[in-house]
Amino acid sequence: MSIIEIRNLTKYYGKSRGVVDVSLDIIEGEIFGFIGPNGAGKSTTIRTLLAFIYPTSGSASIFGMDCISEHARIKRDIGYLPAEVNYYDDMKVKDLLHYSSKFYNKDCSRRINELAEIFELDLGRKIDQLSFGNKKKVSVIQALIHEPKLLILDEPTGGLDPLMQNNFFEVLREENKKGTTIFFSSHILSEVQKVCDRVAIIKEGRILKVEDIEKLRSTKYKKVKLEFKNEDSIVDINLPGIVDSNVKNRHMEFLYSGQIDEMIKKLAEKEIENMWIEEPSLEEIFMHYYGSGSKA
Amino acid sequence: MILFFREIVRNVKSFTVWTVILVLSNIGMMAMYPTFATQAGSYNELMKKFPKEILQGLSMDKLNLGQILDYFAYVFLYIILFGAVYAMILASSIISKEENEKTIEFLMAKPVTRNSIVTAKALCVLIYLVVFNLIFVITDYFLFEAFKKVDYSMNIFLLMHFGFFSIQMTFAAMGLLISVFIVKAKSIYPISFGVVLGAFFINIIAAISNKLENFKYLSPFKYVNPADLVKNGKIETVYLVLMVFVIIVSVALTYIFYNRKNITV
Repeated sequence: MSIIEIRNLTKYYGKSRGVVDVSLDIIEGEIFGFIGPNGAGKSTTIRTLLAFIYPTSGSASIFGMDCISEHARIKRDIGYLPAEVNYYDDMKVKDLLHYSSKFYNKDCSRRINELAEIFELDLGRKIDQLSFGNKKKVSVIQALIHEPKLLILDEPTGGLDPLMQNNFFEVLREENKKGTTIFFSSHILSEVQKVCDRVAIIKEGRILKVEDIEKLRSTKYKKVKLEFKNEDSIVDINLPGIVDSNVKNRHMEFLYSGQIDEMIKKLAEKEIENMWIEEPSLEEIFMHYYGSGSKA
Repeated sequence: MILFFREIVRNVKSFTVWTVILVLSNIGMMAMYPTFATQAGSYNELMKKFPKEILQGLSMDKLNLGQILDYFAYVFLYIILFGAVYAMILASSIISKEENEKTIEFLMAKPVTRNSIVTAKALCVLIYLVVFNLIFVITDYFLFEAFKKVDYSMNIFLLMHFGFFSIQMTFAAMGLLISVFIVKAKSIYPISFGVVLGAFFINIIAAISNKLENFKYLSPFKYVNPADLVKNGKIETVYLVLMVFVIIVSVALTYIFYNRKNITV
């Protein structure tokens, strides 16, 4: 059953483009990644789902109810984590969390304490004195306390340190096991790969592709940068799996999808001064993966 | 109701500050009345030496400062001015604050309709203005009883306070409407001040100049001018109708436009 159904959703802010003709189905119980560079239309899509803004054309529904006309009913079962965290400056952490839980007519004290412990958050602090990372924790907890059926997360990990990110992903998996559907928007491919079942890729307001994460995972591109001792040694690197190779002076850059081990052995024959192996940016993956047709 | 109580708590500090300062000013000015009353003759003589335009502009030409109601009408005008500023600031920031401080993203993700947001906040403004005016009526009653030399008309006393309440309501309703369109705190405060002070000066200009007399319809300060009320003993029907009209239309438009608005923060 579809939890979220988006049909031909288009949103223009005056003349500037938000999203164009977006259609998506998010199935009950899945963790759905929504990935794209900044300004691609991720937040616009989410804000329409939550009726902050109204579509220019097209429609969306959640739990089978229209996102605009029935938004208040829908929101009883939604937890939303905004990209930017802004709270009332006169409240302590616990004030905000209790204020939040009142809207759901639920006593969430137990859950608040549990989550505060997991995220090591002091409930007695004033919110506006917290660091960005700690504010983000408040936001995470706030989205989870009423045990929603659907979580909508907009760039949730920004500001969380790696340890907290792990706790966060752990909590998400637990929630998911309990049956919570998760809509996870991000511009970081690796974190989407970590938790999501499927992913939609959005660019310049349009959905490029909806893909199983397994399939994306099998294309393990790494971005390799090499600095050679002299220009002569560059010439004869050819390995299956090297694409988009780019040479400049003593530097060489390429995307590599083969076995790392093979590449290292091959490179061992060369005189190399320096070497970087990085996660390619989304742009780079998509340029190759989708830009050059149907090779994948 | 959750939001309503939250707003009551959130605005209690500014309410207390405004109320205490204005009530104290009111008490301070009324405390000077006995002095005025004993020397009323010479003050009235002194007043005659002021340029006629100034006295007209402030409607003081009609007042006999020896009478407690007349004296009160004179000082109350300034209380009304600042009370109107408070009402407009309270109303114009109560909705826009959520957007200015970007907390609207939190609030709108809760199961609340936009109508209920406007209702809770408008209701909070109403309650605060009612309480504010009750405090004034009660304080002024005791001041009058303490300082009066002869009896005064209770009807006119209440009429002036009713005028105060209705002018606050009028500016508050306009404040609500404006804040749907302008949400930045750095714009909304100057605009609120500007609208109220502008209306106050239009009232003065309309009183001085014969040519601009019809400007009086633009200024709620003319509608409930305490000096006029003392003299006429009533608020003109046309003014009452105008105020009720402005209040109803502003509040209705606030609901309509707030529902249509794209909220981007």
